[in-house]
Amino acid sequence: MKVYVNQESVDLLRGMIVKHALMSAGLLKEIEASKKVYDEWENEVGLDGALSEGMKIYLKATLKK
Amino acid sequence: MKRWRVVLWPVLIFFLFTTTAYGQQAEIKILHVNDFHGFVEPYQPLGSEELLGGIAYLAGRANELRKEKPSLLLSAGDMIQGDNWANLFQAESVIELMNQMRFDAMVLGNHEFDFGQEILKKRISEAGFPILGANVEGLGSLRPYIIKELKGIKLAIIGVVTEDVPASTHPRNVAGLKFLSPIEAVRKYMGEVKNKAHAIIVLSHIGYPADRVLAEKVNGIDVIVGGHSHAKITKPVMIGKTLIAQAWEHGKALGVLDLTVKDAKIIKSEGHLEEIKPEKGKEDKAALVVVNKYKEKVGAVLNVRIGEAEVDLDGENVRSRETNLGNFIADVMRNLTGADVAMINGGGIRVSIREGEVKVKDIYSALPFDNYIVAIKLTGKQIREALDHGVSGVENEGGRFPQVSGLTFKYSPSEKRGPRIKEISIAGKPIDCDREYIVATNDFMAVGGDGYKAFGEAIKSSGDFSVIGGMMKGEKVVYSDSSRWLRDVVVEYIREKKKIAPKVEGRIIEIR
Repeated sequence: MKVYVNQESVDLLRGMIVKHALMSAGLLKEIEASKKVYDEWENEVGLDGALSEGMKIYLKATLKK
Repeated sequence: MKRWRVVLWPVLIFFLFTTTAYGQQAEIKILHVNDFHGFVEPYQPLGSEELLGGIAYLAGRANELRKEKPSLLLSAGDMIQGDNWANLFQAESVIELMNQMRFDAMVLGNHEFDFGQEILKKRISEAGFPILGANVEGLGSLRPYIIKELKGIKLAIIGVVTEDVPASTHPRNVAGLKFLSPIEAVRKYMGEVKNKAHAIIVLSHIGYPADRVLAEKVNGIDVIVGGHSHAKITKPVMIGKTLIAQAWEHGKALGVLDLTVKDAKIIKSEGHLEEIKPEKGKEDKAALVVVNKYKEKVGAVLNVRIGEAEVDLDGENVRSRETNLGNFIADVMRNLTGADVAMINGGGIRVSIREGEVKVKDIYSALPFDNYIVAIKLTGKQIREALDHGVSGVENEGGRFPQVSGLTFKYSPSEKRGPRIKEISIAGKPIDCDREYIVATNDFMAVGGDGYKAFGEAIKSSGDFSVIGGMMKGEKVVYSDSSRWLRDVVVEYIREKKKIAPKVEGRIIEIR
C-alpha cells in the first residue's frame, strides 16, 4: 500500500496506520513537537487512524479551522 | 371483495406511513462515537498539553444532550482492542459499558474481529443493542440494518465495515467469512428500507475517504456516521445531499448532529464535535461504576501467574549484547510465524525478569510497546545490511541493537568504517546473499523504525498481500497480525510452556 506523507510516498503493509506512515517517513518525533496529522481535507486524524491506498496525510503545526 | 382487499391494503399501509411523515416536523439528535478502543480514562495525547477523553464524562455529556430532544447514541465501530481495559477482558468490559450507556446501535469495526469469531458472537449476544454488518456474510448474529423510530420519524440505519478486515487481523479470525463491497451492500439494503423509513443513516467503519466515495456513488443516503480513519470532522461535511460525520477517536470527542425532519426530508441539520474533558462533577456515575469495576480487575489480571522462569531473564543488556530474554522473545516470534530468522530491536525490551514466578505484568513491563508481529522475505544481502545497521550504534547502546533467533553472527565493534558484520550463519550454514529467507520482526522495525531500511525495501518491492481461504498470500509478506500485541503472544507462550529457561548460546559474538 502506497500512501503519501507531506507529498513523499511511503510503502506500508495493508492494515498499517497513520503511526506507521510517520515512522516510515521518519517524522513520528515531530508529533512530540506539537505538530498534528491532517488528511487532504484538513481534518485532523489520530495516530491510530486507518490508511487506504493513495491516501495523503500531512504533518503540520496546529491548524485553526 | 378479495380483489379490493389486495388493492386497498398497500394503499392503507402507504397512507399510514406517510401520515406520520408528511405534515409533521420533528427535531431529533444523533450522538455518535467511533474508534474508542477501550480508552476509558482521560489521557494526554502525544504533543498535547491537556487531558482529553474519559468515557464517564462522555456518558455524562450524552445524558445531558439526550434531555434536549429525542436522541440516538450510535457507535461507528472499533470499540475494542487497544487499551488493557478492553483487551484483558476480550471486550466484555466494553459491552457492559455500552449497555450501561444505552447505545442504540453499533456497526462492527475491523478490530471487533480481533479476539476471534466465538468471542465476537458472545459479545454480540451480550449487547443490549443491535450490532450491524450489512456487508459481512457468515456471521449469523449480525443485522444488516435496523429501523428506529424517534417522535414518529422512522430512521433506517444500515451498517457497513471495511472490506479490508482480513488484512488487519489474523486470518483465523475471519475464516469462513466474506466481506462484500460496502457500496453494493448499502445499495442492496437501501432498496429494502427506502419505503419503510423517512431518513437513511449509514453507520460506517470504512474510513472518511471511502465515506466520501460512498456518498458520491449511492444516492439517497441522508447521513453517514463514520469511523476507521479516526478523523476529527469538526463540522459534518455535505457531499451531494449526504452529510458525513466522524468523531475522532478514543472518546476524546462526542459527535452531535441535530436534524429537523419534515415531509420525510431532512430540512435542517447542524452538527459539531464536543471535545470531552475531565470536569469534576460532570461524569455519569453509573458509567464510572463500570469503569472502576474493570479497573480493579485489570490489577488482578496483571497479577496472574503464567509460569516460571528457571533463570534470571536479562533485559538490561539488550542494547549491547545477546541476552537470554532477547533470545527467548525472538524464538517465540520465529516459532509462531515459522520464519527462518527472527530479529527484534533491543530497545523494544525494557526490563529484566527475576528467576521465579512470572506474572502477566512482568511481560507487560518488559514489552510495553503496542507492537505486533510481521514476517517478511528478505534476501541474505538485506539481512546482512539490517544486522550491520543493528550493530552500528552499539558503542552508544542504541536501541537498534538486534536480538535474534535462527541465526548467529560475528561482528567487530572496533570497525569504524565499512561493515562490522563478519560472519552470518542461518540454520548452521553460511548465509547465501542471493537467497530469500523469511524474517519475523515487529511492525516497528518493518516500517523502518530505529533506522532499519531493509524491511521497507522488501515491502516496497513486494506489492502487497491478500488473504485467500484463511491464508496470507503475498510475494514477500508472509505474516502480519495486528490483532495481538507481541506481549500477549509471549504471555500465551509462557502459559503453554509453564517453565522457561532460555540461555545465551553464542548467537551474537563480538570480535575484539
